[in-house]
Amino acid sequence: MDLTPEPNVDDETWGRLLFDPKGVLDAGDGAVLTRLAHLVEAVDPVPDDLVERSLFAMTLAGLEADLMEAVYLDAPLAGVRGAAAAARADDTSPAEAKTITFTHDSLTVMISLSPSAGGKVRIDGWAAPAASLDVELHRPGADAVAVTSDDDGRFSFDAVDRGRASLVVRRTDGGGGAVSTPIIEL
Amino acid sequence: MTGSREALPDVDGPGATLGDRAAIALTEYREGNRQALGDLVREATPLLWHTVRAQGVDHDTADDVVQSTWVALVRHADSIAEPKAVLKWLLVTAKRAAWEAVRKHRDDEKRRTELPDDSPEHPMALPAKDLLPDAQVLREERDRILWASLQKLPGRCQELLRLVSLADRPDYRYISAAIGMPMGSIGSTRGRCLAKLRTILDEQGDFSWT
Repeated sequence: MDLTPEPNVDDETWGRLLFDPKGVLDAGDGAVLTRLAHLVEAVDPVPDDLVERSLFAMTLAGLEADLMEAVYLDAPLAGVRGAAAAARADDTSPAEAKTITFTHDSLTVMISLSPSAGGKVRIDGWAAPAASLDVELHRPGADAVAVTSDDDGRFSFDAVDRGRASLVVRRTDGGGGAVSTPIIEL
Repeated sequence: MTGSREALPDVDGPGATLGDRAAIALTEYREGNRQALGDLVREATPLLWHTVRAQGVDHDTADDVVQSTWVALVRHADSIAEPKAVLKWLLVTAKRAAWEAVRKHRDDEKRRTELPDDSPEHPMALPAKDLLPDAQVLREERDRILWASLQKLPGRCQELLRLVSLADRPDYRYISAAIGMPMGSIGSTRGRCLAKLRTILDEQGDFSWT
């Protein structure tokens, strides 16, 4: 399984050793390795938020929801899904709504993202076929927020912080398993 | 993490090494503690990151590979036969994914450029893009000597020591096995790579490392 070519490590390469390879690790070994660890970290630092993103991805994986596929990604699209949005007081802001459609088997979930007060994002969603659904919004480092859709499959989250997120959708009657969207950037 | 820690792998006390702590975390996770892996992710991500980067994987791809490795742990949490070897499992999974990424990248490149001299006999020859620390990092002479001495070792020794430095010493055997460089019954003994590094350092002067 290991594909690395074996280097020619013969005895000449090693030469004379002042330390016994079979010897027990001593304090000097520990100090050298500790120093080396600092250098390794300094030379090629781990990306800042890799741990947080990994934890988020693990949480989503742990839900054992089937992953939906994003089938349609559309940049600025003003007011098409606007029934709910148009009714909002703050809809005077530039309409940079973005819609994304996700599918899994027969279920389709469409969401529309639009600016909300305080730099946040409003999510309006609609699921088909229409059914009452539990919708959870997961974000890194935050507890999930849950809403229930109406009988037409409509749901919304008013003011969500920007950043990565994923929606997990379940039927309220327990039929079918949970499905989740890929991680999206709000 | 308030789970019971009895009946867990125990070498020099529970959780003595990263390998042990990984085993404990997986065991607790399997028992239903969904938070149990958090500390492990925080602690072992640097080791995975550098394992992947050592395969010649670019920054963004390495980021993906490390995330996917953690996701794979969750997906396979119940099927990992030997919780005690979970650290090795993580390292092997990450390394394998890194190789995949390198190969895919090459295939893509080949398709794009059709380089006539792309020799198929050495498909795994990695770009010798050694990471050069800038002057800022190696400000102390002691560090410059250490880094320069490391470069004198065979490549895989360098990789092994870089990774071992990020874990705990008794994890040496997991790490060396995971990177395909079994060191015999190395246990917590020093090993040739470290003995050689100490020798090179020793020959360069009188630095106190303790």
